[in-house]
Amino acid sequence: MSIIQQHTSASLSDAWRTINIDALDPDSSQNFDTTSLHPPLPEINEADVRQLNAQVRQLLRGGDAEGALRGCLETPVYNGSESAKTVTEVLQSIKASDMSPMLERIHQSPGGSELLDVLIKYLYAWQPLPAPVVLLGWREAGHRVPLTPQQTGFSQVGSRPGSTNESTGAAMSVILSWHEKVIDIAGLGSIGRCMTDWRKV
Amino acid sequence: MSGPEVHHLFHRPIADHSFSADRKILAVAKDSAVELYGKVAGAFKLKDELKGHDKTITGVDIAPNSGRIVTCSQDRNALVWEPSSTGYKPTLVLLRIARAATFVRWSPSETKFAVGSGDRVIAVCYFEEENDWWVSKHLKKPIRSTITTVSWHPNGVLLAAGSTDAHARVFSSFIKGVDARPDPSVWGERLPFNTVCGEFMNNSAGITVVYPTAPEQPPRAVISINTQLLPFMSLIWSSESEIVAAGYDCEAFRFQGDASGWQLSGTLESKGRPGLGDAREESALNMFKQMDLKGKAKDDTQLKTVHQNTISTVREYESNDGNVTQFSSKS
Repeated sequence: MSIIQQHTSASLSDAWRTINIDALDPDSSQNFDTTSLHPPLPEINEADVRQLNAQVRQLLRGGDAEGALRGCLETPVYNGSESAKTVTEVLQSIKASDMSPMLERIHQSPGGSELLDVLIKYLYAWQPLPAPVVLLGWREAGHRVPLTPQQTGFSQVGSRPGSTNESTGAAMSVILSWHEKVIDIAGLGSIGRCMTDWRKV
Repeated sequence: MSGPEVHHLFHRPIADHSFSADRKILAVAKDSAVELYGKVAGAFKLKDELKGHDKTITGVDIAPNSGRIVTCSQDRNALVWEPSSTGYKPTLVLLRIARAATFVRWSPSETKFAVGSGDRVIAVCYFEEENDWWVSKHLKKPIRSTITTVSWHPNGVLLAAGSTDAHARVFSSFIKGVDARPDPSVWGERLPFNTVCGEFMNNSAGITVVYPTAPEQPPRAVISINTQLLPFMSLIWSSESEIVAAGYDCEAFRFQGDASGWQLSGTLESKGRPGLGDAREESALNMFKQMDLKGKAKDDTQLKTVHQNTISTVREYESNDGNVTQFSSKS
């Protein structure tokens, strides 16, 4: 290729600056599937997920909340809402005073830092608002999902007792207190890892 | 280890910096110019300014033996500054990239340098005698995102590059007529240009250490270090078993380990450094005055670290028995 470029009247004006060169480049990120940049997610079939959830519930009924939590975190199920629901159940069943000592124990155990990273991912999976509504079984209970600002836990303070809104608010506050406790132990680094990881729960 | 030497140069972010071999000259990228500081009686004084780029400079490197300075910038160009009796003379290098250049480093042989860019290529540039011109060859495959950092193997052929798709790759940048044929190593025996010798993914957002075995073989060990800290921006090997990394936590951390495992062994920041963080004796009047004025009794707008902002580059400053590192600061 010649290094001296040919100048034409078109190249001397600055109209060429507005050309979207990414659209013309076959190698640009506009023209290839960015999911091909990382290896595929580990395959896990639905029967396994059901079995895992059943095991976790069994442990939870038996009073071994820590074992149940570990069970959830050791086999993270990516791209499945069913196991996120189970994790939420486990998290809600643990008393606030037990959270920190339990997280501390998990963090100290070998590979514990990865387990807490998975937990952070489940907590962040809660962030988009319609998702928790689905998790809490609103759909199953036949409720419509209203997309109003009332959805936030924050505005639930004055709502009627016994309403379903209250349970969302309560669940949200559980999630937020878990979030605070996990960050105390696993540090801000875990949020960074959660944001950059391609394996989303 | 003695405490850090702090030199406050200016109130601007520093994208990159480089020391000359005798450590008397410091080149610092400041906006679209490179400022050369000379060390006079323990302090750095501005000596020269290299102006030639018209966008922010992203990389600067001084060749230790020849004293040539290479700079690269967001204006997609690289300039080689040749020292002469009347000052530095710039030569434009054609990188043939359509996006900003992000990083530049001389190879150990100083006959070529590598420029990372946002155009998903690494331009390996060398001087062509017959044309009296710097030309570049592109390392293209399989890069598909911005290159943020490059590092040379001591043999001047192998080049490691980190990119924003969370991969680190090792390439061969062998150029006929410029490089001597390298000795076979764990990365391969025959190494034509653009051979991909290794490709590793970091999916822990911490530090990943890879121990290679042989060409075409899986590595002996891949160790990920998870920390409680914010992400790192830059790291150097201070010895075979120690890494110094620094980034968004505004302080440098030391990691130690070997093929069996690595761990964080602490910060390089010395606690109780004089001058910062020392609590002045407060009078009750002063305390209430502060509470009234600012709503709080203590002024906590300063970090307890030497650096008051993200550390963008960590570079080797001196290496004899123990390496002393020099960091670039943003202030």
